[in-house]
Amino acid sequence: MKIIEIKGLTKDYPLGTTTVHALRGIDLSIEKGQLLSIIGPSGSGKTTLLNVIGCIDSATKGSVSVAGKEITSMNDCQVTDLRLHHIGFIFQTFNLIPVLNTLENVEFPLLLMKKYSKTECRKKAEKFIDEVGLREHIRHRPAELSGGQRQRVAIARALVTNPDIILADEPTANLDSVTGAQILDLMKEINEKEKTTFIFSTHDLNVLKYAKDIVKIKDGLIEEASAS
Amino acid sequence: MSLIAKIAWRNIVRHKGKSIIIGVILFLGAFLMTIGNGVISGMNQGLKKNIVNSFTGDIVLVSEKQESDNVFLEFMGKAVEPINNYIDIREVLKTQDYIDKYIPVGKNMVMVLNEEGGMPGMTYVIGADMVRYNEIFPNTMIPVEGKLSDGISKSVIIPTGARKEMFDYSGIWFKPENETLDTANLPKEDGLDLSSIIVKDSVVFMGFNNDNTTSDIRLGIRGIVKYKALNTILGHFALMDIESYRTTLGYFSAENKTAPLSAEEKTLFSLENDGLDNLFSENGDEIADVEKTAVSENTDKFPASVELPRQTDVDAGVYNLVLIKLKNSDNLEKTVIKLNAVFKEKKLDVRAITWSKAMGTVGSMAKLIKGALFTFVMFLFFVAIIIIVNTLSMAAIERTTEIGMMRAVGARKGFIRLMFFGETGILSFVFGGIGIITGAIVIKIIGMLHFTTDNDMVQLLYGGDTFYPLLMAPDIILAIIQLALVTLIAVLYPIKVAGSITPLDAISRD
Repeated sequence: MKIIEIKGLTKDYPLGTTTVHALRGIDLSIEKGQLLSIIGPSGSGKTTLLNVIGCIDSATKGSVSVAGKEITSMNDCQVTDLRLHHIGFIFQTFNLIPVLNTLENVEFPLLLMKKYSKTECRKKAEKFIDEVGLREHIRHRPAELSGGQRQRVAIARALVTNPDIILADEPTANLDSVTGAQILDLMKEINEKEKTTFIFSTHDLNVLKYAKDIVKIKDGLIEEASAS
Repeated sequence: MSLIAKIAWRNIVRHKGKSIIIGVILFLGAFLMTIGNGVISGMNQGLKKNIVNSFTGDIVLVSEKQESDNVFLEFMGKAVEPINNYIDIREVLKTQDYIDKYIPVGKNMVMVLNEEGGMPGMTYVIGADMVRYNEIFPNTMIPVEGKLSDGISKSVIIPTGARKEMFDYSGIWFKPENETLDTANLPKEDGLDLSSIIVKDSVVFMGFNNDNTTSDIRLGIRGIVKYKALNTILGHFALMDIESYRTTLGYFSAENKTAPLSAEEKTLFSLENDGLDNLFSENGDEIADVEKTAVSENTDKFPASVELPRQTDVDAGVYNLVLIKLKNSDNLEKTVIKLNAVFKEKKLDVRAITWSKAMGTVGSMAKLIKGALFTFVMFLFFVAIIIIVNTLSMAAIERTTEIGMMRAVGARKGFIRLMFFGETGILSFVFGGIGIITGAIVIKIIGMLHFTTDNDMVQLLYGGDTFYPLLMAPDIILAIIQLALVTLIAVLYPIKVAGSITPLDAISRD
């Protein structure tokens, strides 16, 4: 089942009097449950591609379908709801809400969904905090956590809504190699267990061994797509 | 909602510096707005008590012919036009259920003749049925020398301000009849030779009107009085009985109506124009003929004996103003319009004006001071809004990553806007609330300190002699509304800024 389908995607950024062509015509299909890595050098367009898939950025041309919904014609509320219900994000810089503790950060998207009671939200959040091994730090705020722990909180937050897709932009870039490996192990484990689609971008070749599928991107075009 | 409140509160605590800056501005704004409202309210109450309730009433009726609305304090202007149909006006006023009390009065400027041959002085005079006047404006004056008006005797009571003015003009110092000179009250001016001061216990007024006809009257001085408040403004008006006033101004009085006339006077009154022309004829026979016919036809129109004037007769005479007190003066302007419509319908040739218009510059100054205070409060508003807008907008921009991330994980723009609004709302509630409470306490303390002044302008600001800012429930509600308005206006732009932050902005910032 195709969870993401991209056809003829281009993305241009005006930069002064010139235009930067970040994506020049991407065609890509991603099946549900894939653990896909988008690799490429800096400036190749991998972050832009993730942003468009994650409805964070809009396409200049082409069509992008996420979870069976065409996103290029959606308004702000629709894409926000799509992100909330179908996509989880893991950012390079963790991006947790500084005034909320671990439990509250993980609860946050559940509370936005207004689908579960407070008790249900708490139980679900605690379950995923346990899964990422942060039970002892449940009341700690981001400032009291290490980089690896923060990224684990981010993973728990991304997973808690049971999304179809988790997008991770260079999730290990700010972590040491050991912690980075632990995070990638965790992502792989969840992918296998929950059948959640993981798409992460990286330019670290050590990360590639965790990916089941690899898309190599260069100058805004897919150079190579391969399954491991 | 609890999530928004939780995040908002924790953000306030997290960004202590900015929160304190905004909080202090909100505190000061609310505090000064409360004080300002208290001063305006105290001034309103003071003016109402000391001018409306003591001197003018809420509404003043003037003749339709009266050009200027400034009927009380127009210095050396035209005489106030007479109202000749008070009885008809009275019948209309009786039917208006929103009117509490009313009294017709005469008001004009008269000359104070100097019997010593010096310069005559000038003073404003008010003529009224003093019994009714004291009922409508009770306990407004205190006697400094002599007594207050008893409402019966033909006499004048002179406020201290008017006495001083007359002294400055004529060099005559007036004191009440049958009273010894109170030297303690004599003017204390440098170089003034007290032994040379002429002291008199009666005053000769000479009226004048637009036709320059004049008559004069000597009135004994019953008392020298002082208004309990705003004496420097209200103390320019000498008060006398209405009949003396009419005589002074050359108006037809009730006594004129009841006084006996000689046969010759009766003849002259009864002459038509042709007959009057005959008086100036060179033919003496014609005068004799006129006398014969006129006397025989008209003598029965005039009473033969002296009668005390009745109230109806007094009311039938000439007045200049009717002072009206309303049951509720909240919608004064609307009431004036309503009353004027009634007068127009009844074709009564009078118009109603507000007390502030009738008081001319004093009313305008009162409005100006109120306006200035209001502008000051509005300026505080404006400054508070600018600073809060700036601080909050900066806070929104500084929190781009956090807000963008919230948007990325599914928070709608509305959530972000509510979060920002919540933060400002909590600050406004806490700091603004403390500001209002502190303002209320300060107003209470100021009221207890009894600051007094003799200065005219400051008296207007105080609404009387004593500075008594007043904070009532509507003022507190007004302060809360103003605070809410400041918060709402101040937060509009920052929430627009915060709402426009996208997840992409957060990533770009990273």
